[in-house]
Amino acid sequence: MTAGGDDAPALMSDLVEEDVVVRTPLTGAARDAMITDNLGLAHQLARRFQHRGETLDDLVQVASVALVKSVDRFDPERGVEFAAFATRTIIGELKRHFRDKGWAVRASRRVQELYLELGHATSTLVQELGRSPTVAELARATDSTEEAVLEAIEAGQGYRASSIDAADDEDHPLSSRLGEMDRHFDSVEDRALLAPAFASLAPRERTILRMRFIEGLTQSEIAVAVGVSQMHVSRLLAASLEQLRKQIEVPVAE
Amino acid sequence: MTNEYVGTEVLEAGDHVQLTFPARGDLVVLARLVTSAISARAGFDIEDLEDLRLAVGELCLLAMLDSDARHGDLRLDFEVSPEAIDISCTLIGAGPALSTKTADGVEADQLSEQILAALVDEHGRKQEDGSARAWLRKRRKGPLA
Repeated sequence: MTAGGDDAPALMSDLVEEDVVVRTPLTGAARDAMITDNLGLAHQLARRFQHRGETLDDLVQVASVALVKSVDRFDPERGVEFAAFATRTIIGELKRHFRDKGWAVRASRRVQELYLELGHATSTLVQELGRSPTVAELARATDSTEEAVLEAIEAGQGYRASSIDAADDEDHPLSSRLGEMDRHFDSVEDRALLAPAFASLAPRERTILRMRFIEGLTQSEIAVAVGVSQMHVSRLLAASLEQLRKQIEVPVAE
Repeated sequence: MTNEYVGTEVLEAGDHVQLTFPARGDLVVLARLVTSAISARAGFDIEDLEDLRLAVGELCLLAMLDSDARHGDLRLDFEVSPEAIDISCTLIGAGPALSTKTADGVEADQLSEQILAALVDEHGRKQEDGSARAWLRKRRKGPLA
């Protein structure tokens, strides 16, 4: 069995099915009825694409617009039943929606970020609970789903968009570089010290640090975003980190 | 932009993975997670991986639709080849079907098949030795790295 199936589903409006002279494209009441009758299909397909960082309302809107396109482009004389045609069109539009928003890169980054976030959340929860946290507790702490947590644990370090690191001047993956940062700034005391030190940096330096260590952009990506050279980004990062280190340095042997 | 799996464990052509779990809707998450892991290791990009995750959920649904799945198990078989990934989902040890109508009155199996048609290259469904089996094939966009 392949796409579509042989039996016509009860999705086309009676109005269209009984209309002997089928107009292409449909207009007026027939068009409206066709759209209305299939809004349920658009909703069901939108729900299949949930949990990817877009609200269901947005997805339903994309699917509904795609449904309207399907109705306007549908040609009954081609022998393809409407539901199959509309499903393909709507899923195509939903996928395009995610693609246009750079979803693949963001998804890769989101998995990495969540993986890193889980490290922090685990430390915090171990302290709070006096035991290792469950996946459900980690999901609550990171405001994500259990499935996302499991996926991040499984895939966090293994999968990435190569463009994120392609033009980088360092050999190590983002996670390991962030890990180095964590070793210095992981304790509550260090974070308390870091906050005012961070605030003392110039806005551009703060932005660059945030893009590098929170958003996980490469130096080259930051360079494009900020409008300076990658070398300049490298120098600014080094200077900013040095400034932070100096400010939070605790005098020894007091 | 390309995506690549950069982990050390890689599934190669000819590798076969099998997963069996109780046929319950809340456990389909296992199918999706394993599909992610296998597709990534088989070299599929993240967009294909999301298609496969979505598609495997529909496979599970299709396998369960024809039977009273409450007492059965779902067995997923993953086969990686140089051209494609093949996934099949077989319901084992379940009784006859109940209703397949969704709340919207749409035939759930038709919807799942239409979704599969939009996500994968080939798909199908048949009864085998009293077990319902749904399968899909998704081809690689390019040659195996």
